[in-house]
Amino acid sequence: MEGFIATYGFLIVTMTLQAMLALSLYLPLMAGQLSLATPGFYALGGFVAAVMSKNIFVVANGELYPLPVVFVEMAVAAVLCAGVALLVGLPALRLRGIYLALATIAFVEVVRVVALNLPITGQAVGIFGIPQPFRSSFDYLIVSLPMLLLSIFFVYRLERSRVGRAFAALREDELAAAAMGVSPTRYKVLAFVMGAVLAGMVGALNAHLLNTWNTRQGTFDAAILILAYVIIGGSRTFLGPVLGAMLLSALPEVLRAAAGLPGLAPFIAQLLTDGRLILYGLLIALGTLFFPQGLITPDLFRRRRARRKAAPAAPVEAA
Amino acid sequence: MNTTLFLQQMINGVSLGMVYAIFALGYTLVFSILGIINFAHSAVFTIGAYFTYALMGLAWGFNGLLAQQKLPLELPFVAALLLGGVLAGLLAVALERLAFKPLRERSADPLLTLVSSLGLAVALVNIIQFLVGAEAYSYPSQRVLSGLPPSINLATAEAPLIIPTVRVIIIIASLVILALLVLLINATKVGKAMRAVAEDTTTASLLGINTDRIILFTFFLSGLVGGIAGTLVGLSVTITGPYFGISFGLKGLAVIVLGGLGNIPGAVVGGLVIGIAETFAPSSLKDAVAFVILFLILLARPQGLLGKAIIQKV
Repeated sequence: MEGFIATYGFLIVTMTLQAMLALSLYLPLMAGQLSLATPGFYALGGFVAAVMSKNIFVVANGELYPLPVVFVEMAVAAVLCAGVALLVGLPALRLRGIYLALATIAFVEVVRVVALNLPITGQAVGIFGIPQPFRSSFDYLIVSLPMLLLSIFFVYRLERSRVGRAFAALREDELAAAAMGVSPTRYKVLAFVMGAVLAGMVGALNAHLLNTWNTRQGTFDAAILILAYVIIGGSRTFLGPVLGAMLLSALPEVLRAAAGLPGLAPFIAQLLTDGRLILYGLLIALGTLFFPQGLITPDLFRRRRARRKAAPAAPVEAA
Repeated sequence: MNTTLFLQQMINGVSLGMVYAIFALGYTLVFSILGIINFAHSAVFTIGAYFTYALMGLAWGFNGLLAQQKLPLELPFVAALLLGGVLAGLLAVALERLAFKPLRERSADPLLTLVSSLGLAVALVNIIQFLVGAEAYSYPSQRVLSGLPPSINLATAEAPLIIPTVRVIIIIASLVILALLVLLINATKVGKAMRAVAEDTTTASLLGINTDRIILFTFFLSGLVGGIAGTLVGLSVTITGPYFGISFGLKGLAVIVLGGLGNIPGAVVGGLVIGIAETFAPSSLKDAVAFVILFLILLARPQGLLGKAIIQKV
């Protein structure tokens, strides 16, 4: 067990953090908005934590960083991300579908280039030696697991609240929702801000976990990966993104571990270690082909509850 | 800024912009027919550059499965460029069969196609790394120029305007590709069929057009121009490793949105605007220019410079 935690502690914490990032992309999607801005806010939150811990609350080398300060950093990151999300979201959410996705990609790239040029974010080098609030990376689970459970609970309750129903109405038909008195702009921006806040808080915690933060955190690739979590897990329920994120973020390590199994041909072992991202990409592609609705579909719940064949899935919108 | 420097920068900008344009045409061709952005296009672009390198009979570096290997044939640069483009086109066809067709047949959510094409792009980029390592490669300039001088003076001897020959080659090659493409689409039977499928797939198939074959052909063309663009960029900078298409791919998206999604003249205008803007921007902010322009154009005119506004039907 000791050895397992030493080897995989970091991975387990990362899985919980990635699951929250998936939820942060899922929140705007609940209101029918495909936003890929999550990595931008994640990077922003990470820089908030990194800059604050290196400049404001400085601790001596080797000393543990006080945990309450981490929470303060997360709060600051949340407020900042909410503000930026309002500024970006109000104009951008007039766009639909692929246009909104592209505008949010542009946002992610602009954040990256700005961070590359500002002295306070360490430019291309980034920020090193971010102090640790815990002795081992596995201990971060004390914060990340309750945070994940809270976010899941929040989204679960949200779906059953007035706001969540407004999101669902927007997702199904924006025009009809507006006709029924649901303000599209208000709820779309709300969903976008919620996602941004969650991503910023995850970034703040992850900056401590990783010990270093730079512009390679939160790129376009990350946006696509998070989208893959949501699509492969299933984009219709809140459990889908969580499961998808956990499976996909663990997959490269599982492949690496599989390469160590005895009795494998050397070629396969080499493919599993050096070429594991090849298999990763192929599995993502195959996942969409074999599970077009994602691993977890609303039908799955319905079937359990009703013990009868669920109504046929809603027809996919024809182009 | 004096005139000479301005003209030099302008020519650099046009050469960059033309490459953006022909690369973005690959996106636009597929988008105009399927209404989907092919995110594997940047991987095809990258592989096109590597194909050309291999076909010139050049040896790989020290890493990867193919370390120190080379092909037994040594094609001249132009032949390698064209053949590399054709191979990239065939690869795009294979991608269509693997990632696009199965989902299209189920009329799945376009988002799924986005993810599946990206999955294949990740796989392709890592296959390159697995085979030939992550180091940079460049085409030897003597063999590319084959006797041409490395730079050309476009003005008089007293007031020189010196341009690297490579830039001129890129501009000419891009113009030729563009002209051929426009000719193909506007003046041939298959081009007419492509336009029909882009207009309305169902009606086109009712009129006896084999839409499946037209889609395959479109992917081939898209891969062909993408692969050639990859080689041309590899020529003007270097092939900086398996990921060199990714940032280019993102800028290609900015280009097509700027010009108007699915609009061929739009891709050219968008490419030139972004190419020239980047050349004149301060180098540290160069990479942000395309995205700031993209963001602004989306807010001000989401249909792009040359696009037509689509009225959402209820």
